[in-house]
Formats: sequence, structure tokens, C-alpha cells
Amino acid sequence: MNAIEIRNLTKNFGDKQALKGLNMTVPMGSVYGFIGENGSGKSTTEKIICGLIHPSGGSVKLYGKDYTDVDVRAKVGVLIESPGCFPNYSVWNNLMLQAKNLSIENPADEIRKVLTLVRMEGAAGNKYKNCSLGMKQRIGIAMALLGNPELLVLDEPINGLDADGMRIMREVLLDIARSGRTVVVSSHILGELEKVATHYGIVRNGKMIKEMTAEELNLSCRTFVALKTLDMQKTKNLLGVRYSRVEEDEQGYLRVYDAKNAEEIVSYLYSLGLIVIEIKTDKIGLEEYYIDLMKEKGVN
Amino acid sequence: MSQQKITFESPSFFKRLKSMLSVDFYRLFHTPLFYIFLAIAAIIPAMLIGMTNMTGPNGEPTQPLFTNVWQAIAADTPIYGFEGIEKYANMNMVFIFGGIMVSIFIGHDYKSGYVKQLFTTHAKKEDYMISKTLACAFAMASMCISYILGAVLAGALTQTSFAVNVGNLIFAVLGKIFMSLGWASLYTFLNVIFRKYFGISIASSFFFGTGILVIGVGAMVGNTPVLNLFLYGSSVFACLSSTAVNALVCLLTSVFWAVVYNAVGSLVLYRSDVY
Repeated sequence: MNAIEIRNLTKNFGDKQALKGLNMTVPMGSVYGFIGENGSGKSTTEKIICGLIHPSGGSVKLYGKDYTDVDVRAKVGVLIESPGCFPNYSVWNNLMLQAKNLSIENPADEIRKVLTLVRMEGAAGNKYKNCSLGMKQRIGIAMALLGNPELLVLDEPINGLDADGMRIMREVLLDIARSGRTVVVSSHILGELEKVATHYGIVRNGKMIKEMTAEELNLSCRTFVALKTLDMQKTKNLLGVRYSRVEEDEQGYLRVYDAKNAEEIVSYLYSLGLIVIEIKTDKIGLEEYYIDLMKEKGVN
Repeated sequence: MSQQKITFESPSFFKRLKSMLSVDFYRLFHTPLFYIFLAIAAIIPAMLIGMTNMTGPNGEPTQPLFTNVWQAIAADTPIYGFEGIEKYANMNMVFIFGGIMVSIFIGHDYKSGYVKQLFTTHAKKEDYMISKTLACAFAMASMCISYILGAVLAGALTQTSFAVNVGNLIFAVLGKIFMSLGWASLYTFLNVIFRKYFGISIASSFFFGTGILVIGVGAMVGNTPVLNLFLYGSSVFACLSSTAVNALVCLLTSVFWAVVYNAVGSLVLYRSDVY
């Protein structure tokens, strides 16, 4: 049984069609990275899964049941955009209100547990409005974790966080993943997403254009040779004659995508009088894979 | 990846409602708004009674608005059309201010994103309507009591007459308090309809709260008991000549409209995007 099964999902906002027959399958226990440009339909899909907006067509099943079923809703924890908290209440009180809405038997114990999980034990008494963005996002996750949900839907939980906030959030997400829960997490920060996701769904223009596992992504990602010489411009020109794709990356390496191996390039450059001072082979990451896929689909 | 068996539980309606009521009452008692409106409810009759006993600019006695403290609570007889401020300015005004309070209270739900958090749980739309209606009805009933205390205090200070038929007064007050439920359901409904437009929510609550539609009809058709079918009509019907029948009419009208507004409000929430 899959945690989420979406078939032919459509959603119209007036004349605008936000979702155009989207299909999505999220296996139980997976961390599903949900990727797409702004306006591609990620948030709309997540809001439908969470029961906040109605689809215009198609079906959404959570654990084999209709997504609107009351009993299935109790199994879903949600963080959409930002947590729905009252700014003048403390973190504790905001969590307590949500715990009451969820009819949790021992709310205080449960709140302490989720606060520990999101590394917020010491901030329970802080007013929500005085919390930093990173803390607010973690409060949102704590709120989503109340009631021990099987499925978590997290919309852009990493965006806007500083490096430390991102690190803590990554640890929190990994802890959640280890607990066996299913997590759907959308983000534009693909490098971070790659560290936690086991499955990916890439959505564009209201349609799912690719779904794959992390292993499949790994196999799909092309290898490249990255190198440095003393004369990078000349090297680039010479390699450009022999190889079809040679690019300079952000770290100042020249990347050769269609070389058989590093030795082949080293001996080729040596024969032309160029000495390689550094060389390594690597694979493109999720971000580059995504950019390549978008280029394939005709998006700049 | 785990493939554990998922068990589902459906919390009962009463369990869900109890949970939501506890949240709404917690919020009500922890918002300064509630206490501000209680104070406003007490100040209104105090000002009305105080002003009615003031002298003119040259120290001459003015025509008092009320000859009796309880006229600030309810009119002597039910007058649906507008026949002077003294017949209009009574405890029905609590329902106007109560409407503004409900608008702000429910508006916070949407502004803070609380509804977004709420409706992703097992909460049903009708639970929300009922819980909000009951919490706001309690708030308005409290404002009614605060209004009475304000009137009594002002009456005592200005030495205005307290002479009244106690039985009639009790039924009048009971009738008004019963009406809190109907008015609260109307305002909850309006705020659900205009949930994305806070200004319109407040304006519509004020508009309907003044009873201007019933007053207009009352002016045209005269004092007919048919107007008791409406919230403002029944609120006027709870007057200083009330009997148990008046209080019963108020209760039935109030419950009827509460059921209607809750049903339609729930339907609107089910049919439309919540957030």
C-alpha cells in the first residue's frame, strides 16, 4: 500500500489550470522530495493532500482511503508555508491548542517529546512572535508531529533558513525519516533535499514529469571529469575540440562530461604540453539533473 | 522502508467538539478582546443612563431618555420600526458590538493561519461552525450580563427608578440572552462567508446587527408578530412586558437560525477552498 496515490489530479482557479492531470505515488516510509519551479503546482498539490483546497478532478488516496476521510486526516501532519500559530501565545500554548484539536490524551508529554525532536526544548516559554524564522519552521514541524502522524507534508521547510538552521532542519528531517514515517517535502534547495530524500517527484506546469527513487537518480546522473591546469582557457579551448560538453563550474574546475576516464584526458593534454595539476571524477547532483531535465523540456 | 500496518481511528463527534470547544474557550478567555468588549457592554448603558440625567447647557433639566433603569435593558413594548432612540437604545446594542467582537475573534483564526492548521486535522467543518457559535454565544451572553451590571450601577449612581415587574424583567433578560446564540451563529456564518475579506466581515456584521432590515420592514408593515421570525424581531420581542411566551419565542427563533446558519456555513466550508 502506498501512503499517497494521486491520479489525474486537476485544479482550476478561475480560468487558470494549476494542475493538469497530475499523477503521484509516494511509497510508505519514503522521504519524497517534491521538486518544481514556482507556480508548477507543488503547493496546490500539497494543499489538496492536506484537505485545504478541493481538486477540480481526479482522485487522491491516502493509505488507500479518500483523503477527506476523518480517520485518515488524523494520520497526516502538515506544515504548509508557515505554521498556523497565534503570535502572542507561547510556543507551548500554541502546541497545546493543536494538541487539544487533535484530542491527544497526554498533551504535555507529547509536546515535550516533539519539542525535543525539533531541538526546541528550551524555547517552550518563548512567545511565538519572538522566535526566529528557523525556530518558527521547527515549531511548525513540531506541530505537524503532534498526534504521531504516519504522513508528514512539509512545504518548503528549509527555505529562508541560515546555514545553522538548515543543518538543524536536516537533522530533524533525518530523525523523522528514521522513525519510519512517510515525509513529503518540497524545497527549492535541492542540495539539501538530496541529503534526505529517498524518492523524488519532479513537477512542471501542473504535471508530474518524472518520479524516481534516489537509486534511480544516482544511475541517471552522468559522471564527469573535473580538472585544473595552469592555463585553463587554453585547456578549455583544446578540450572543446575533442569533447562535446566542457564547462567551467563554480569552484573553478573544468568539467568534461563525455570523457571515458580521467587518464584519457590527462594523456591527451600532456601530448599538447599541458600539465594537469588536479583531477577528479564525480557525478552530477540532483540540482544539475533537475536543470538538465528542465532544459530537455525546453525550460531555461 | 517500513511497510507497517496502519490502524485508523475516528474520533466521535462529541470528542471532536469537546476538543475544539476547549480551544475556543481557552482563546476567548486569553484574549484581551473579550474583556474589552465586556467593558464596552457595561459602559454603554452607564453612558445612556448617565446622559439621560444630565442637565442642559444652562443647568436646566432635560427630558430624560429613560424614566426607569430597565428601559435601558429593553423597551416597554415590542416596537419593530424605529420610534425614537429610547426605544432602540437598549440591550440589543450588545448584539451589534458582539458582531464586531466575533468578526475580530474569527478573523484571527484566518490571519494567524490557525484554520489552516485546524482543517488539516480530523476536524470537520460543522465542528468548527458549532464550536465558534457556542463560544461566541457565551461571549455575547456574558456581554448581556455585563450590560445589566453597567445599567444597574449607573442607575444606582444617578438615582434612577428601578421600579419594575420582576417577572417580566426576568423573561425579557432571558429572551435577550437566548438570542445570543442566534446572533452568534449569524456572525460566525458571515465571517465564514467573507473569511478572506476582514473589512467586509466587520461591516456586514455591523449592518445586520443594527437590525436595519427588520426595522425597515417594520416601518412598512407595522408591528406584526411575523417579524419575530427574525433575529432582530425576536430581540425586540424580549421587552419589559415579556412573559414566558416571549422568552420561548426568543429561544426557538435563536435555535432555528443557529441550526440554519450552521448548516449553510458548514456547506459553504465544505464546498469552497478553506485557505
